[in-house]
Amino acid sequence: MAKHETPLLDQLESGPWPSFVTDLKRQAETKPECWDILGQLELSYEERITHWKHGGIVGVFGYGGGIVGRYSDLPKRFPGVEHFHTIRVAQPASKYYSTKNLRQLMDLWEKYGSGMTNFHGSTGDIILLGTRTENLEPFFWDLTHDMGQDLGGSGSNLRTPANCIGQSRCEWACYDTEAVCHAMTLKYQDEIHRPAFPYKFKFKFSGCPNDCVAAIARSDIAVIGTWKDQIRIDQAAVKEYIAGNYPSNGGAHSGRDWGKFDIEKEVVALCPTQCMWMEGGELKIDDTECTRCMHCINVMPRALRPGADTGATICVGAKAPILDGAQFATLIIPFMKMSADNEFEELVEFIEKIWDWWMEIGKNRERVGETMQRLGLPAFLKVMEVEPIPQHVKEPRSNPYVFWSDEEVPGGFERDVVEFRARHAA
Amino acid sequence: MALSKDELKAAILEKAEKSPKPQLYIKDFYACDPETKPRDIKNVANDLVKEGKMMFWSSGSTTMYALKHRIKNEEGSEGI
Ligand code: HEM
Ligand code: HEM
Ligand code: SF4
Ligand code: SF4
Repeated sequence: MAKHETPLLDQLESGPWPSFVTDLKRQAETKPECWDILGQLELSYEERITHWKHGGIVGVFGYGGGIVGRYSDLPKRFPGVEHFHTIRVAQPASKYYSTKNLRQLMDLWEKYGSGMTNFHGSTGDIILLGTRTENLEPFFWDLTHDMGQDLGGSGSNLRTPANCIGQSRCEWACYDTEAVCHAMTLKYQDEIHRPAFPYKFKFKFSGCPNDCVAAIARSDIAVIGTWKDQIRIDQAAVKEYIAGNYPSNGGAHSGRDWGKFDIEKEVVALCPTQCMWMEGGELKIDDTECTRCMHCINVMPRALRPGADTGATICVGAKAPILDGAQFATLIIPFMKMSADNEFEELVEFIEKIWDWWMEIGKNRERVGETMQRLGLPAFLKVMEVEPIPQHVKEPRSNPYVFWSDEEVPGGFERDVVEFRARHAA
Repeated sequence: MALSKDELKAAILEKAEKSPKPQLYIKDFYACDPETKPRDIKNVANDLVKEGKMMFWSSGSTTMYALKHRIKNEEGSEGI
């Protein structure tokens, strides 16, 4: 029996898609507090104002993150959501789960929480929605002791690093995303579990420019696999695609008849830098112009592969729209070798240089991408000790001034005033 | 000369006590010792939390620091 009348929410169930309202009603049969989520939300729809109180001091002992405090501002009317804290649980690398692990986690959440989940949040973590303060420590004990799993990052902490499946399943991976993600997760445990910065900070690792973890859109440091040499072409396989013997895109679009595969139209003409052409029945690529968009490789995976001299491109400063609008990360390092032999030393050095600068210069609640925008890319490149290259240029300049620094001018800016005045009386 | 760890701890606690707002951003503590790197100031502030002298207050996306006695527990109250 419904505890509250919810006509506005009920309307959301009438569409063609599964509705969270239906999910909540089903969950409410075993977890009555879910009725109060519905009741409070219905009231918010009527009054057009939230009834969640934001933030708090709740957490588990020794950690300064992973728990996000949430309370109802109408606890008498909706006692089920008087406390409704969110728990962030660190996802396993590449989001590989065993069913045993998932069952254990769900049993734990039925025991200590509302049973409501979100797989996964924008951070990458598993989000468990809704529990009371007194359940936090017992939940944390069981999670860490019985399951060997950990909380993720929240607040001004480093977020749980995330990576694509990389070399574990994907032949396109240009570096071992799991190795890097694992190494950084262990190295920065303190930054994940305790506040470390003026605001949140994320890094994500994709093995190739397909960027399956959307690093370029969501992370302060996006590490995206790439190659320096040529796309590897198997001309015999190209012919098989042209003859229609191999399905394009690995058969991904086979649900509809798109007609005969046309390499000119579907590959060559769609290359964003127009660096491909057919010559004597062979596919040619001017790799110096290739922007590594992955399109041709995605269409003809049996004929084309990323090159063999592989590493990663590092982009900095993506964010969702909070203060200013959303933005993609900006290219900073075109190519960095990713090697476990030196514990990813070069990447670590890069990360910490950004942190030292942003800790000092970043304003409260300013993402590093906003700090970069505020001070300009040239200033950021100087801090990072990166020489500007044409790929850093996004658009024609809009600032008419050219500023020279002292060391860029022969003789510098220092002038002998006495000598000058000898020629130009004041 | 940068402050010693204990001097820095004392300066942070004093700042947290005297500031008009109970909750402070980590950047508010940088001025306690301009010679110490921000990341080290952060480590000392986090140590004070570990020692139970300060607490974290988190909105979910930002974390602030406060002295225990200056911050109310929001449960069942008006909140902060
Ligand atoms: C040999 C002497 C001078 C040379 C070669 C010179 C050259 C120039 C040049 C190339 C500009 C830029 C024009 C533009 O961007 O359209 C300029 C602007 C200007 N000059 Fe001179 N100038 C001289 C002397 C002076 C003197 C003696 C004054 C004032 C007493 C003066 C006042 C200005 C002002 C006010 C502007 C700015 C105009 C604006 O921003 O629209 N200049 N000058
Ligand atoms: C209290 C006195 C003054 C104030 C507050 C003042 C303020 C300003 C400001 C705000 C600008 C614009 C700067 C920019 O857009 O980057 C400017 C430009 C300029 N001022 Fe003044 N100014 C003063 C006196 C003078 C005097 C006495 C002169 C000349 C004898 C002068 C010559 C100019 C010129 C030539 C520009 C144009 C510079 C350019 O186009 O880049 N100003 N001033
Ligand atoms: S980002 Fe690239 S390497 Fe990683 S899983 Fe996706 S396609 Fe494969
Ligand atoms: S990866 Fe993209 S840019 Fe490079 S050759 Fe293929 S389609 Fe062109």
